[in-house]
Amino acid sequence: MMKRSFAAVLGATAAISLVLAGCSSGDDDKGSASGPQTLTLAGWSFATTPEFKTLADGFHATHPDVTVELKEYDAANYDTQMVADLAAGKAPDIYAQKTLKNFYTYQNGKQLVDVSDVATALGDKVGGISSYQADGKTWAIPYRQDSWVLFYNKTLFAKAGVKIPDGSWTWDDYAAASKELTTKLKGSKAVGDYEHTWQSTVQGFALAQTQGATIESGDFSYLKPYYTRALDLQNAGAQVKFGDATTNSLTYQAQFGKQSAAMMTMGSWYIATLRKQQASGEADKFEWGFAPAPQLDKSTTGTSATPVTFGDPTGLGINPKIGKSKEATAKAFLQYAAGPDGAKALAGIGITPADTEAVKDTFFQLDGVPQDDLSKFAFTKHDTKPENPVSKYTAALQNILSDLHTAVMSGSKDIDAAITEAQNRAKTEVLNK
Amino acid sequence: MTSLPLARRRRGRQVLRNTVVGWTFLLPNFAGFAVLTLVPVALLFYYAFTEWNVFGGAEWTGLANVRQLMHDHSFRTALLNTIYYTVFHIPLTLVAALALALLLNRRLRGVAFFRTVAFFPYITSIVALAQVWNMLFSPGYGPINAVLRGLGVDNPPGWTTSADWSMPAVIIVGTWREMGYYMLLFLAGLQTIPGQLYEAAKVDGANAWQRFRAVTLPGLRPTTFFVVVMLTIGSFNVFDLILVMTNGGPGQSTLVLSQYIYQKGFVENQFGYASTVSIALFLICFVITIVQFLINRRQS
Repeated sequence: MMKRSFAAVLGATAAISLVLAGCSSGDDDKGSASGPQTLTLAGWSFATTPEFKTLADGFHATHPDVTVELKEYDAANYDTQMVADLAAGKAPDIYAQKTLKNFYTYQNGKQLVDVSDVATALGDKVGGISSYQADGKTWAIPYRQDSWVLFYNKTLFAKAGVKIPDGSWTWDDYAAASKELTTKLKGSKAVGDYEHTWQSTVQGFALAQTQGATIESGDFSYLKPYYTRALDLQNAGAQVKFGDATTNSLTYQAQFGKQSAAMMTMGSWYIATLRKQQASGEADKFEWGFAPAPQLDKSTTGTSATPVTFGDPTGLGINPKIGKSKEATAKAFLQYAAGPDGAKALAGIGITPADTEAVKDTFFQLDGVPQDDLSKFAFTKHDTKPENPVSKYTAALQNILSDLHTAVMSGSKDIDAAITEAQNRAKTEVLNK
Repeated sequence: MTSLPLARRRRGRQVLRNTVVGWTFLLPNFAGFAVLTLVPVALLFYYAFTEWNVFGGAEWTGLANVRQLMHDHSFRTALLNTIYYTVFHIPLTLVAALALALLLNRRLRGVAFFRTVAFFPYITSIVALAQVWNMLFSPGYGPINAVLRGLGVDNPPGWTTSADWSMPAVIIVGTWREMGYYMLLFLAGLQTIPGQLYEAAKVDGANAWQRFRAVTLPGLRPTTFFVVVMLTIGSFNVFDLILVMTNGGPGQSTLVLSQYIYQKGFVENQFGYASTVSIALFLICFVITIVQFLINRRQS
C-alpha cells in the first residue's frame, strides 16, 4: 500500500515539477526609469536584412544611454517562433510585424501595446499606418512600406527595339510589350516577362486595382481578368510556365538579374537586392529602371495621376510584457524608426522607408540605383493598397486563394470553376462557419 | 517480540529504497516522455473542444469544432487524398521492399553495396530529394518527360504541376524513399527462416514459386504484419514529403490530413480546430491499427 502510494506521489511530483519547469515564464528584467536601458528587438536574417542593425545603431546614436539588442529569428518561421515566444513570455521588447497577414493574431491576442500616441506624433506622412489600426487604436508603426513596381531591363528593350515603359501602361500594354519582346528576342534565352509563383503577383494587383474588390466579401470574380491575362502570357511563351517555375524552384532574382526576362513586377525591396547583386557579380551588369505597375485602365496612368499598386507595410510593435518603465523608451524607438531620421538611415542602405518623399534624394544618390525620372516617380508616387487587409478572416481566406492560384496557374482548373470553388469554400469554411 | 517489527521495518526500508532506485532509473526517460509527449497529448484532447489562438486562455466551445469538422469540405478532401495516398503507397512499398529483400538476400557479388544503395534514399534529407524529384518531374525541362517524349508519348503528364498527376508523383517518390527501410526489415525477417525448410521443400519437389508461397511468406508473417502497421501509420501521417514537393497543390489535389492540421494550426492560428482534426486523424489510425491486430490474431 505504502509502496504504491509513495510511487504515485513521487511520479506525480516529478511530472508536475517538470511541467511547471517547462511552462513557467521567467519575469524579464523590469528595468529602471533612469540610467542606461537596454531594449531588445526581434528581426530576421541579419546577414541579408541589415535594417534592424541600422535602426538599432541609429537610435543608439541619438539616445546614447539606450542600447538596442538584436534577437535573430528564422525568416521562414518568424511568425511561428514569435507566437511561441510571446506565449511563453520570452519575446523581445519590440518585434517586427513581418507579414500583415498575422497582425490580427497578435492584436487580437493582446500581444501589442497601444501606440496611438506615436502615430499621432508622426502624423500622416508615414505610409501604411492605417493597416495597423483596429478598434480605433494603432497597434504597430510601419517603418518600411514596399510597393510593387515594374522592373525592366533597358538593355534588352533596346536590343529588341521595343519602347520602354513610360508610366502610361495598362495591363494590356504590358501584355502586348511582353509578347513583342518575346518575338524580337527569339534566339536569346530572354522572354518578355517573368511572373513569380507567389499568389500576390496576380491577386495583389487585382485586389488593389479593382474598384470595390475585397477579400472579405467572399466574391472573387475580380480575379478573372488578371488570371486570363497571366495564362495568356504563359501560353504565348512570353513568360516561364508556372509549373516549370515551381518544380525548378526558380528565383525571381536570377530570372531578372541574369536577364532571362526583360520585365518583372516585384516589390520595391528588389531595388536594393538588384543593386547589391550587380555590384557583387551575382547579377549581370545591365541598364535597368522601374516604372509604376501597369494599371487596370487609363484613369490611373500617366505621371499626372497616382498609380494604384499594392504592398504591405512592415511595422514595429511593442510587447506588453515590457513593463511601464521601458515602454516610453520603446515608443521613442518606434517614433525614431518611422520618423525622418530612421527613414534616412534606411534609405541609406537602399530600403524603402514608410516615408518615401522625405528620402528621395538620399535614396537616388546610392550607387547603382537608376536615375531616370520615371523611376523617381514610381518610387515616390503611388496609392499602395494592402495585400492583406486586416481582418480575422484574412489568413484563412488567403489560404483558399492560394489554392486557387496554384490550381489555375498550373492549368489544373479553369478560372471560372476555380473562382466558384473558392467562393464556396470561403462561404462554408471561413465566413459562415 | 521486538525483532518482528524491526525486520518488517527493515524490509519496508528496503522496498522504499528499491522503489526510489527504480524511479530514478525511469525518470530521465519518463521526464522526456511526460514533457514532450504525455502532457501535450493530454492537452490536445482538451484544446479540441475549444477555440484557441495560442495567446491567453482557450475558450470552451463544446462540440462546435466537431460540428464544423462534419461540414468541412477541405477536411473531406484531405481525408480522401490521405486515403488515396495510403491505398497505393502501402501495397507498392510492400511489394517493392519485399522484392528488393529477396533479390538482395542472395549471395551476390557486391550485395552490401546494393543494399546500401537501396537504403540511401531513406537517410537522405527529404527536402533535398523532394527538390531533385521535382526537377526530374518538371513538365517542360524535366528528364522524365524528355524520356517519355522520346518514347513517343505526345502528351506526357504534368506530374506535380497537374491536379491529376500530382498524387501519383508523390506516391512514386514516397515509395522510392521508403522501400529501402522496409527492405531492411524484410532482410532481417528472411534471416530468421530456417534453411532446412527450404531444403525440405526442395526435396518434396517444390519449385521456386511454391517455396516462396509455402515457406517464405508464412515465415515472414510477423515481419509483414509489422511492416503493414508501420506503413499504415506512416501513410496516414505523411507530411514532410508533400509539404516540400507540392505544398498540397495544385489546388488541394495533394492536401493530406497532417498538412491540413499544420495549415489550420500554424498558418491560420486556429489551434483549437487543428486539435480537433488531429484527434480525428488519431482515431482513424487507432481504429485501423486495432483492426489490423484483430485480423492478425485471427490468422495466427
